[in-house]
Amino acid sequence: MHELGIVIQIVKQMENYMDEHDIKRIDKLVLGVGELSGVVPKYLRDVYPIAVEESKLQNTKLELEITPGIGKCQACGFTYNLVQNDNICPKCGSNEFSIITGKEFMIQRIHAE
Amino acid sequence: MDALRVIEVKKSVYANNDLEAQENRDMLKEQDTYMMNLMSSPGSGKTTMLVSTLERLKEKIGIGIIEADIDSDVDALTIQTTGVDVIQIHNGGMCHLDAAMVRQSLDDIGSSKLDFVVVENIGNLICPASYDLGQNLNCMILSVPEGDDKPLKYPKMFKKVDVLLVSKIDTTSVFDFDFNALEKNVRKLNPDIKIFPLSAKTGEGMEAWTEYLLKKIENGVHT
Ligand SMILES: Nc1nc2c(ncn2[C@@H]2O[C@H](COP(=O)(O)OP(=O)(O)OP(=O)(O)O)[C@@H](O)[C@H]2O)c(=O)[nH]1
Ligand SMILES: [Mg+2]
Ligand SMILES: [Zn+2]
Repeated sequence: MHELGIVIQIVKQMENYMDEHDIKRIDKLVLGVGELSGVVPKYLRDVYPIAVEESKLQNTKLELEITPGIGKCQACGFTYNLVQNDNICPKCGSNEFSIITGKEFMIQRIHAE
Repeated sequence: MDALRVIEVKKSVYANNDLEAQENRDMLKEQDTYMMNLMSSPGSGKTTMLVSTLERLKEKIGIGIIEADIDSDVDALTIQTTGVDVIQIHNGGMCHLDAAMVRQSLDDIGSSKLDFVVVENIGNLICPASYDLGQNLNCMILSVPEGDDKPLKYPKMFKKVDVLLVSKIDTTSVFDFDFNALEKNVRKLNPDIKIFPLSAKTGEGMEAWTEYLLKKIENGVHT
């Protein structure tokens, strides 16, 4: 449900973008989905066809680029994959970290005409 | 067929909403109206807490409530019994409100004549955390029966909010709720958060909360 609302918003945003930049057709839309963004890639793919129906993106292919959730340990400075390590630094065992990548949910690029 | 160009867009998906939220914020500032975004799980006591808060503040300031229930008017009707202006958003089953929907409601309720508007967001701890509405204050309710471990499960929400109301504290003994554990977990995510334990049922803690809120509104309106 959340994903459908988001994708409808993306479609609207891209339709505006097409008008502003005089783009006739988008062949492919590439979204960047961070592992920590709370957005589920499978759901995005599932709802995408519904969201683009009767829009200017009707025939646009969807591609997802997943960015890993990387954190930096605040105790020892080590950078590690948060998801694979359950948010616990594999070097020193601390669970205090700052997020470096993985929170973003972006429209990365389009292949357009 | 024409050659395809690759265009690097590099825009956050939330960019549109962020712009609309900023417009709401600018408009509210011009109107001297303070807006609170109230978020929580379903059934945490939002409507009950609001009614109790309204009873304490409604003689002092002009208040309007925007209710976002998926399918019913029950909460709006409850709020109406206090005599405060209320409108209901039916948002077609979405799991969060966005800035554009709130803008529509602000216009409908006539925010320019009000001092304070509360948006009772859709009950869930995940999706509303991603949508700025243009509010001045983000407030969430966690009720004692939900447990003290919720900050571990929904960090995004606990990081975002300015104020945490811990509601239904009259039930603390029944639910083994560890207030210190909660506070420790919350502060780790959000060191500056304001926490008010309260019970809308017994009235305990309501005074401290409404006094804080009234100050916020008065300062917000004049700065
Ligand atoms: N014991 C106790 N019960 C409370 C308190 N506040 C609310 N409740 C009860 O909790 C239930 C849910 O309260 P609501 O105020 O409807 O909660 P809500 O968050 O608005 O619910 P939704 O809008 O449906 O998500 C009701 O049965 C209330 O009577 C409280 O301070 N103490
Ligand atoms: Mg309610
Ligand atoms: Zn470490």
